[in-house]
Amino acid sequence: MSKHTFAGREAGGYRLSRRQFLITTGAAIAAAACSTQVGQQSPSGAAVPAGTVNLSAWTIGPDAPSYYRRDNLVSAADLLNKKLGGQTQVHVDATFESGGQWGDYLQKFTLAAEAKTSPDIILAGHENLAPWVGPSYVIPLDDLIKKFQSEGGLKDVIPTLWDAMKLKGKTYGVPQDTEARPMYYRKDLLAKMGWSKDKIDGLPDAVKKGDFAWPDLVATAKEAISKGIVGPGMGWYSRTSKGADIYMFYYQNGGVMQDDATGKLVVVKDALQKHYQVHADAVRNDKIMTQAIYGMDGKIFDQTVMDGKVLFFNAGTWKWKDWQTTYKIVDQVLWDNVGFMLIPAAQKGGKPVTVSHPLAYAVTSNAKYPELAFRLIANATTPELNSKHSVTSAHLAILSTQKDDPTYKQDKFLLATQYMLDYTRFIPNHAKFGIYDDVLYRFLGAVEQGQVTPAQAVDSAVKEIQSQVGDEIIVK
Amino acid sequence: MARIEEIALPRERQATAWWRFNATALLFLGPAMALVLVFFIAPVVITFVMSFTDLATSTGLSNWQWIGPENYQRMFRSQFWLTILGNTFVYVAVVLAFNVIVGLGIALLSVHVEAKAGGLFRSLWLLPRISPSVVYALMWTWAAASPPFGMINYVVEPFGVEPRYWIQSDPWLIVILINGFVGASFGMLIFTSAIKAIPEDLFRAAQVDGASALHVIRRITLPLIKWPILFVLVYQTMSLFASYEYIYLTTNGGPGLYATETWSLWAFHTALSNYYGNLDFAYGAAMAAILVLMGLGISVVMLRLFRFGQLVAEPRVEV
Repeated sequence: MSKHTFAGREAGGYRLSRRQFLITTGAAIAAAACSTQVGQQSPSGAAVPAGTVNLSAWTIGPDAPSYYRRDNLVSAADLLNKKLGGQTQVHVDATFESGGQWGDYLQKFTLAAEAKTSPDIILAGHENLAPWVGPSYVIPLDDLIKKFQSEGGLKDVIPTLWDAMKLKGKTYGVPQDTEARPMYYRKDLLAKMGWSKDKIDGLPDAVKKGDFAWPDLVATAKEAISKGIVGPGMGWYSRTSKGADIYMFYYQNGGVMQDDATGKLVVVKDALQKHYQVHADAVRNDKIMTQAIYGMDGKIFDQTVMDGKVLFFNAGTWKWKDWQTTYKIVDQVLWDNVGFMLIPAAQKGGKPVTVSHPLAYAVTSNAKYPELAFRLIANATTPELNSKHSVTSAHLAILSTQKDDPTYKQDKFLLATQYMLDYTRFIPNHAKFGIYDDVLYRFLGAVEQGQVTPAQAVDSAVKEIQSQVGDEIIVK
Repeated sequence: MARIEEIALPRERQATAWWRFNATALLFLGPAMALVLVFFIAPVVITFVMSFTDLATSTGLSNWQWIGPENYQRMFRSQFWLTILGNTFVYVAVVLAFNVIVGLGIALLSVHVEAKAGGLFRSLWLLPRISPSVVYALMWTWAAASPPFGMINYVVEPFGVEPRYWIQSDPWLIVILINGFVGASFGMLIFTSAIKAIPEDLFRAAQVDGASALHVIRRITLPLIKWPILFVLVYQTMSLFASYEYIYLTTNGGPGLYATETWSLWAFHTALSNYYGNLDFAYGAAMAAILVLMGLGISVVMLRLFRFGQLVAEPRVEV
């Protein structure tokens, strides 16, 4: 026995030496760590068990009218249970977050995934799936898509939406909805400026053809301000916070965000400078947009544009329903006073643009029965259920068959905006996109605040991205 | 002549004697030491260890790797680390000055008026502290909202001040005021109790000698509450270094290029708050590790500067 013993630490006649204690404790910690590693393995994924199976799902708006993201999963359980023939009964426990923040929702899922308490199904933006693939928080669905291709409306999903769900050749999500981000305009204010009804109603077509380009929009906004139709800085309101909309003006000027061949992030310096210049001119030179736009409270934005105080403003298609639900604007009043069009091309004759952000249902690695979870999603992907969601929340169709759905066909707003998907672009699926976005967004704010010029912003932003994401960025 | 000789005990008996002698002390200190170990030492060790990995959302706990000092190199490669460091010192220094000066002012004023009125006045100043942080910050964002909204705009416009989006046009003013109004109440409470503990005789004697109010404050009150002032200074400095919640809820570190981003907020943004969910835990841990080192350094400096040894030394005369 060692001479260096702990007095009073005898157990069953055995005295534990300090060294033995450290070795034992160390071994226990190492064993625990190893067991954690083993515990990361994907679940076995038993196919269809007998009895009741509880499936959990998390969904989010944050816009209040998007509750069918949750409800459609619950409805799909009935469809699935009929197909399962009675031996297995699926019960769905789904949540819907309204009014919250995307960042908080994603953080909650990440922490739950590590704690092995994540739900079976998670609703997220397509680009959110990229960082979740590395640690296997979500599972690839290609085999299940192949096996259940005739389930629900999977075969009718618009092909470009499947592309947005892929990372390195594998599919990690099933499209839940999509939208476009139009440039809204006030018809009543244009009329006050002397525009004829035909000219006002023909504006979306003029934008589509490239006849009404960005310089025309700026000139119109300046004219509205000079005539006192709108107040200073109220010719155009862009998005007030982070989001995919910001990149419409980068794409408008020839920007590229991801390299198809390598999957790396891309920044095109010339396009980025033009994107910053659009905002710098709007705020500082032409003064068609208030400097207070950056970080403005979303409620103030909505209230101001719905009060008819701003000529042009950016928002997603879903806001059409949100304005009616939250701000109690009658549908016909909106139609009478508000129009929508693509983001005009940078120059006359160019191609207009918009950005879409398809959401996806994904099956998590925590799902005990991934096949059942996937089949539930497949059964929630039908023209009937998706159209209910579309008309309630003003999100666009994800199934080619929805255009024939009686519910969808009755919604003239959806029919009038569906064409925008032909002009749409996506943000990239990349695990470091959040870092790239953070840098570009901060410099956008700096340009609008006059802290740096667009040219300085581009040089500094590119250097900063390179220093933060290393060789994951291609600069053109 | 008697000679005291050292008694040489065998090593095993020495250890046994040591344990017997210290067992009671260890028994009493044990729970506190365990808490310190689990909640103070272990997180610091984990933070430092984590900072040498690439742990992020994209790796999870299963795919991380050791990457050496890369996170620290990356941090100092950023163009903004110096700006953020400067912001941190400005934030701590100015809010600290506000807290101590305003807290002291309120304490002095409220103890020199009628007791009930003084109590009511202090209660009003406690409102920001007892309000939930998010509610308090939300009220500020509404008060400082962009024109034509915002209570501040309504108040200042009649005086010829152009309405503005205060959070964006004067972000530091908002950051200092929102933190200052909360922090001042802490100093106010400490200073009030310290002033009330001063024997009344000293004030009466000074009045008999014809001392003015300012003289009384300068020659009696302030010297006798020196230690509470130093305590508030040191404690608030450390608190401010680690705090970011009100900045996060109002300016969120902006506008633009890290205008009001402090080091702790930078670490939070990096490790736990990304719009697209790309959380960089290890990189954020490296930032937090630097913050720990800064805190330790400043603690040592302040404790030496303010002669902490004297503060905790036994009194020279029995009281």
